[in-house]
This record gives sequence, C-alpha cells and structure tokens, in this order.
Amino acid sequence: MTIEKFSFKYSELNIGRNALILAMGYSQESLPPMINEEIDEVLESGNELCNIEGGYRITDSVNWDKSIFSILLDNVAFDIHKVIFQQIKKSNSVAIFACTAGKKITDISKEIMKDGDLLKGYVYDLFGSIVVESAMDLIQDSLQKEMVALGLKITNRFSPGYCGWEVAEQKKLFSLLPEHFCGIELTDSCLMQPTKSVSGIIGIGESVKYNRYTCNICDAPNCLYRNLKYQ
Amino acid sequence: MSDTLERLMNCVELGKINKLSAFPPSLKGQDGADELSKLALDEGINPQVILNQALIPGMSKIGEKFSQGKAFVPEMLISAKAMTAAMKHLKPFFATGEIKRNGVFVIGTVFGDLHDIGKNIVAMTIEGAGWEVIDLGVDVKPEKFIETIEKYPNCVVGLSALLTTTMANMEVIVKEIKNKYPDKVILVGGAPLSQDYCNKIGASFYSRDPQGAVEYLKKVAA
Repeated sequence: MTIEKFSFKYSELNIGRNALILAMGYSQESLPPMINEEIDEVLESGNELCNIEGGYRITDSVNWDKSIFSILLDNVAFDIHKVIFQQIKKSNSVAIFACTAGKKITDISKEIMKDGDLLKGYVYDLFGSIVVESAMDLIQDSLQKEMVALGLKITNRFSPGYCGWEVAEQKKLFSLLPEHFCGIELTDSCLMQPTKSVSGIIGIGESVKYNRYTCNICDAPNCLYRNLKYQ
Repeated sequence: MSDTLERLMNCVELGKINKLSAFPPSLKGQDGADELSKLALDEGINPQVILNQALIPGMSKIGEKFSQGKAFVPEMLISAKAMTAAMKHLKPFFATGEIKRNGVFVIGTVFGDLHDIGKNIVAMTIEGAGWEVIDLGVDVKPEKFIETIEKYPNCVVGLSALLTTTMANMEVIVKEIKNKYPDKVILVGGAPLSQDYCNKIGASFYSRDPQGAVEYLKKVAA
C-alpha cells in the first residue's frame, strides 16, 4: 500500500483575508469593519492554531456497477450516486484522501463560543474549515503534478455527504486507509474527529477531466463553498 | 414610540453594543444598546415595553435581512451581542415577573452530532424574540430532551443536525418525545433537512433559517 503523506505549516497555505471574507458571504467593500479585527487576530495566530496533516492512497482496483451508480475500490462498494458516478466513471485508478487542520482550532473555537463570544468563535470555526480545504488543495495539486508526469489527468475531489453520497460511507472509505490516518477518527455517526477534516476520492485516468466549476452539479444549497471559488 | 426606544431598536439591529464600540461607524461615539436600555429604564419606560418595542423588533429586523440574504451570520452575531448588552439591564425584571417571556424553547443538537454554530444562532435569535431558551448543547440524547420537557411542560422543542447520518437520529428523538407528549411542538432545522423530511418524521415545523422559526413561534405563542 503506497501512501503519500503531507504536513504543512499554516504559513505555507497562503490564506488571505479574502478567503475568510468571501466565506462569510461578503465582498471586501461590504465587510462590516468590526469583523476585520477578528479576521486579523485569527490570521495572525494561524501557526499556533493548526496542526495540518493529510495524504492519499492510490488504488488501481477499481470496478463499476453502472446499474446502481456504484464504484468498487479494493472490492469495497460505494454508492456514490449518479452525479459523482458521471464525473468519475472514466477513471482507471482512484486516490482515497483525508486531511485535517488538527484538533486545536476546533477546541479553541468552541471555548470562545462557550465564553459567550459567538462572533469570534464563528470566525475561528470558519478559519478551520478554510485551512483544511486549502491544505487539501495543495495535496490535490501535488497529486495532479505527479499524474501529469505519467501522462494522466485527475478529476475534482468528491466527499461523502455531497451529491447524494451518504456520510455513513465514510466508514468504508477509512477502512481503505491505514488506521488513525493523520490522527483522524470516526464517531459512531461517521463524524470525523478532529471536526476540521475532509475525506473523499479523486479519479485518475487518461480521459477524466477536472471541472473548474462544479457547484451546478451538486445538490447542497447550504454548502459553505457553494459558488465561492467561482466568484 | 419614544426616541430612546427607537434608537435602542436601531442599536440592536445594527449591532451597536455600547458607546465605546466603533461599529457601526455611523454611530461612532454615540450611546449603544447598553447605555440606551439603562436610559429607557431611567426614563420610566416599562421593561416589558423596552423588550417588546425595541429589542425584539431590532433582532427581528436583522433576522429578516438574514433571511433575505441582505445580512450574514457575523451581523446576526453582532446584533445578538448588542441585545445581550441591553438584556443585562432587564434581567432583574424577569426575576420579579415584571417582564413575561413568550415561552420556553428547549434546543439541542441531536445525539451523534457535535455541530453547534447553527444551533447557537437559532438559540440566540429565538432568545432575541422574547423566549427563554434552554440550550442543551450538542450530542443530546432523547432522555435529556424528555427530562427537560418534564421540567418545562409547556416548552417548544428545537432539534438541530448537520449531517445526513445524524439527521436520522432526529426521527428517534421526535418519536420518543411524541410517544410521551403527542402534542408537543417540535421544530427541526439543519443543512441536510427539508420539509419532506420534517413531514416524514412527524415534526411540527421545518425552517431553513432562524427567522422562519421565530415567525412560527409567534403563531405558537398567540
């Protein structure tokens, strides 16, 4: 089993103010000034707040069941539903990934909220989400470069909980990764711990494609990232 | 409406906490919710009137803007901070019964789920609408809800879930509550929910945003 593992310092992620501002729903111009202070504070303490780890494992054991929009990875069946199936069906291999921003950011955010500062707690929580997605962007870029060198392409990344793929399937996904991968554990309800973690699959092949904009194919109207990268 | 109440309502809506707060810039250096609620009491305005005519409408205005996509989560949270600053002065009147709340709202994130931001925003919006909120926190089991209902028999219950997996636990909680209290009003909310799901599990009401819950609760309290 070949595993590629990564760890990042927060400073390597180049997260700017704009990422947080957009994730809150504002533009630079419409941001209420009070929130500026909270953003500055969290960005300044990013290095102490995060313990970023991630990685992936590539499997060539990929089979399909078109009739039920299912993919079999190492003979483990995943009901990824039609939307993801269509995006990934031309893959010859699949990268199974996971990444986390670490426990501290969630703990601190919850502590701040418990002390009654909901605004600051919210900004810290959002920051954790952006950190883990940004780190996963870097991992995905690295995978893409590796595959391009082999004459291959990659798809977007797809996660349980989106486009009809049940969160419960996260258990099967983690069964294909080493135990305690990047320190991530699953609760009985398949919630990743630390909370600021992501997992999923990326298709690899000669004729797969990466779509710059995929929010139109997804059915999660309340997603934090909906339309964000397109703006 | 008195000038003080009108200014207080604006402070809550715009999130002007006290005189020292620099936000919003248009009210810089002016009294905030903290000073104005004290001033209103000093002017002899009935505390219930302060709550009903200034604080609740202020929160309601920001809640409506949020529902319409004209304001975002941080503005709701800043308004809540201003509301809390004002409520500090009204607290003694709740204890003496001079201010009556609309009712008791018991809220919690269902067992298996540890997400609390959405739940916190709903709790604070409903509190801002004049309800006493009992926040049971996250990962709340059916027994805890039942135990709290026993303590507050006329309460309305709110259940929150963020994941499709934990959403299923809502059904378990609704069933257990309804077994014991068939007429109990139960509101449900959270990213993966829908009206269909609410109907399926037998909950009373689904709202996609906090203001929707407030509007429904107004009907319940009427």
